[in-house]
Amino acid sequence: MLKVSNVTAGYGRTVILQDVSIEVGRGEVVTIIGANGAGKTTLLRAISGLVKPTAGRITFDGVDIAGMAPADIVGRGLIQVPEARQLFPVMSVRDNVLMGAYHPAAREGAERRFAEVLELFPRIRERLDQLAGSLSGGEQQMVAIARGLMANPKLLMLDEPSLGLAPIIVQQMFGIVDRICEMGTTVLLVEQKAFHALKIAHRAYVIENGRIALENTGAGMLADPHIKTAYLGI
Amino acid sequence: MTVRVSLSEAPPAGRLAAFLAWLGNPRVYMALAALSLLLVVPIVIDSPFIVHVFVTICVFAGLSTAWNIVGGYAGQLSLGHMVFYGIGAYTTALLIQHYELMPWLGMWVGAALSVVLSVCIGYPCFRLRGPFFALATIAFLEVVRLLAIHFNGFTGGSAGLIVPLKLGWAWMIFQDKINYLYIAFGLLLATLAVSYAIRTSRLGYYLIAVREREDAASAAGISNTAAKLKAAMISAALTSLFGSFHAMYLTFLEPETMFSLSGSVSVAMFALIGGLGTVAGPLLGTVLVVPIAELARGWLGASANGLHGFVYGVVLVLITLTLPGGLVGTFGPRVTALIDRLPGRRAAPDREEPALRKIDGKPGEPVLETRDLVMKFGGLTATDHVSITLRRGEILGVIGPNGAGKTTVFNQMSGFLRPTSGTVVVYDAAGRPVMPTRPDEFARLGVGRTFQIVQPFGKLTVIENIMIGAFMRHASVEDARAAALRVARLVGLLHVKDVEARNLPIGDLKRLEVARTLATEPSILLLDEVMAGQNQADTQKMVELIRAIRDTGVTVIAIEHNMQAIMSLSDRIVVIDSGKVIAQGDPREVVRNRRVIEAYLGEDFVDAQGL
Amino acid sequence: MDVLVQLILNGIMLGAMYAIISVGLTLIFGIVRVVNFAHGEFLMVGMYAVYLLSHHFGLHPYVSAVPMVLMLFAIGALVQRFIIQPLLGADEHIQIFATVGLSTALINLALLIFGADLYSVQEPGLRKPLSIGGYTVLYAQVVIFVSALVLVAGLHLFMQKTPLGRAIRATAQNRNAAQLMGVRVDRIYVIAFGLGAACVGLASALISPLFPVTPTIGTYFVLTAFVVVVLGGMRSMYGAFLGAMIIGIVDSLSGYYIAPDLKEVVYFAIFILILIFKPTGLFGFGRGTE
Repeated sequence: MLKVSNVTAGYGRTVILQDVSIEVGRGEVVTIIGANGAGKTTLLRAISGLVKPTAGRITFDGVDIAGMAPADIVGRGLIQVPEARQLFPVMSVRDNVLMGAYHPAAREGAERRFAEVLELFPRIRERLDQLAGSLSGGEQQMVAIARGLMANPKLLMLDEPSLGLAPIIVQQMFGIVDRICEMGTTVLLVEQKAFHALKIAHRAYVIENGRIALENTGAGMLADPHIKTAYLGI
Repeated sequence: MTVRVSLSEAPPAGRLAAFLAWLGNPRVYMALAALSLLLVVPIVIDSPFIVHVFVTICVFAGLSTAWNIVGGYAGQLSLGHMVFYGIGAYTTALLIQHYELMPWLGMWVGAALSVVLSVCIGYPCFRLRGPFFALATIAFLEVVRLLAIHFNGFTGGSAGLIVPLKLGWAWMIFQDKINYLYIAFGLLLATLAVSYAIRTSRLGYYLIAVREREDAASAAGISNTAAKLKAAMISAALTSLFGSFHAMYLTFLEPETMFSLSGSVSVAMFALIGGLGTVAGPLLGTVLVVPIAELARGWLGASANGLHGFVYGVVLVLITLTLPGGLVGTFGPRVTALIDRLPGRRAAPDREEPALRKIDGKPGEPVLETRDLVMKFGGLTATDHVSITLRRGEILGVIGPNGAGKTTVFNQMSGFLRPTSGTVVVYDAAGRPVMPTRPDEFARLGVGRTFQIVQPFGKLTVIENIMIGAFMRHASVEDARAAALRVARLVGLLHVKDVEARNLPIGDLKRLEVARTLATEPSILLLDEVMAGQNQADTQKMVELIRAIRDTGVTVIAIEHNMQAIMSLSDRIVVIDSGKVIAQGDPREVVRNRRVIEAYLGEDFVDAQGL
Repeated sequence: MDVLVQLILNGIMLGAMYAIISVGLTLIFGIVRVVNFAHGEFLMVGMYAVYLLSHHFGLHPYVSAVPMVLMLFAIGALVQRFIIQPLLGADEHIQIFATVGLSTALINLALLIFGADLYSVQEPGLRKPLSIGGYTVLYAQVVIFVSALVLVAGLHLFMQKTPLGRAIRATAQNRNAAQLMGVRVDRIYVIAFGLGAACVGLASALISPLFPVTPTIGTYFVLTAFVVVVLGGMRSMYGAFLGAMIIGIVDSLSGYYIAPDLKEVVYFAIFILILIFKPTGLFGFGRGTE
């Protein structure tokens, strides 16, 4: 469904990603794990069209999307829930969630999805009229995911949904990610907290210094001692 | 401020020889030849109109050069600079009128007033961002103009003020206009000399550093406000002197033209067209644009009212869209390269390295302590009672998951954030505890830091970037360059020393971050993820480098995500999660700590791998 | 007492005029994050156009409000597309120079075409005083006041209730996230700049019956508008509206109680003090947008 082939990308003359190739099949949950600064976010930004790759191809449903405008990529159903939530802080929660269905391709059925999303996140329903900036970190992350779901994603990319959340909230967040995966959405999950991501992923990539260092099934990766070395240096 | 020209350092007997050698530099003799045209052309043509055009060129080139010191070097876009020109003009004229004080003296009174006003404007306004600083300067200009109109008993108000006509050199008013040109040209030469001296001195480098990145500048021990104020004061004084002279030339002052917004914009515009922040740019821009305006006025008369302004405006927009570096910024390097091919003496070779700062003190004694640091952003507690003691000669590793608050702690340890509560104590060279507040104070006490997100001065070369750090201990450019070369060699940047920093790959930028900090010769080094983005070979080199630095007596504290590297490097590890210190001690023990593993990999991981 | 009430009333009327101009400036700054130094010159261009339409075709200035809004929207959109957009990634001072250059070019173009003479739209009916409970205002001022209210209310509804309005707010608050929602931010900027300029188009038609147009009329108004915008927190149109009222009243009172030619000194002093001591504006709208 999504195929990233030999992509090199960066900012200005600073190269962050080098020759990265990954694949996500329909219905799969794929995770990319790696340390801070390894290039995970840049990879997602390149897929979403926010960074233009200097080399390589990105195809989605067989169409080359490298170099396409971000809005056109969104229109194809390739949706990113960005790192650190990035809500619109002085808009109401309702307007934030509705912004997810802004693209014309997502307007159809938006009302039905709005109801579904509120079902999935009862907490959001209680806070619809509050300003998004006034929510707690965990609630903000839920709004960010809800906003992503409103876009009617064929493939949902989640960038570190656990970032900066307290441990208990992290558990809840992974519960939500589990449910989204169970619903059959294709998911590309970027995480630093490797364990949980690996447990729910069909396949996993480890990214180190802008390159793909390892590729395995989620379970296989979990048993790989290299993971612990990469993270803890022992 | 110390502006030193290498010339002055030669022994008296060798001065003439040194001067001749200086003249022998093709850049010097070509510049002087080009400048002399401003004097030679009108003398040869000898028409009153041409003399007028050249006087105007000299005045505006001088104003623009003076503006460029604060607008270009320091990057503070003043659009109300004519306030100093007007003050110079009015002060001089009023002193003649009321006290019969010669303009040669009165102009210094005007300059002094302008300097005072520049501090009054600059001190509160330098904290404002670009467009708001520009607006504030416009507001000051308008206020002074309106006051000049209001107090008409004193200034003549809107009706204007006629300078008492006393002829002769003493009163700076002449029948033969060519005399004005001599004075204007002299003033211009002096202004260019000041501008050149600043650009090639420590202050010049400091101003560019402050313009490019205030944080990195203060980490290099620069007081941003002091640097900008110096620039503003010098610029205001020079602008005021031109105002005084121009008043004598025009002999009629009115608030509309003396405190003119469009005049202020023009002066800034000439500098942009020629090249902001370059020595020759403002002059070049003026020489290109002013004659067009004056010729249009001379030939087309009143029917062309507005034509020159229209052309100015269009040129300004086009320059921003096509040549944002201005003429000198765009074509300068090529022209300089051509000039350098001419016969003559070259620049002096690099000089010997100055002595390194010695670090005294006993290993193991505390050099820096944080006591119960708490940092709150709104409802979020980013730092939660963090107490860390750094001991002389150790390498302390700081680890923790993304977003744990490690960099926030660093920012408090180097003065970039003031803690909500708690204190940071630094022990100075004599072992006395000190509690500095500003980043530049921390830096001067020997606390050097790097930034996680690299902060290079993009438009400066690698060696100039390092010199910004070196200036903290070495005031002269030659010494700073020599010290910077030593650091470049140590860090492995010598092969790219003349490359502009913005063209470096990330690995080199990380090394440059370390180099600039090392050049301040710190006794405590705070490294924030300097290994991220480095390949394995470079990481290994960085580890060796940090060890070598420590062996010179420097105490190191490093945030790092590269676990292999930090584990092998550190004598001691502190683990931070959710703003708290959750573990500290020997590296081997810390990574076996269950809480640490949980913080990194999630709770279940501990069970899954049977740890 | 009567004098004071009359002065405050005058101030509110004046404030309404500043409000229309300032709301436009705020839209541009709040969304595109560019300070439009040529904003006043947009007003000047509009006023000359209103004058020409009135003088040559006998068009009532209020009728020309419609073409003015459209024309200024187009001018604003073009300026954004061809001057500002290429400079969005450039240094801030380059952006400042670009709009300052545009301002200089427009002032002098007007000087070249029309000279420094004053041109007035002849609609004496609109300058007739209207008595409200013993206090007087001009007909045209009442129209301006009502228009300012309608403008702010209309923009409020547009921003809150329409998908495009939501997209504009989203872009202002987080450009990156807006892109990820499929918002074409470059287009939003063009629209926002156009809307900001269109406000001045409206202002030009409403102000023409009261003020003669000169090449520098824009500078006169826009400096005040900058004061208003800073007072209002720079990014909030409600803040701008309130700020305009305050400056209008300050203008009116200080002109009477201090000296007519020092009223600008008073509000420039306020401006400088606010910039220095409370850069987020008086009302705490400064942090958000809209």
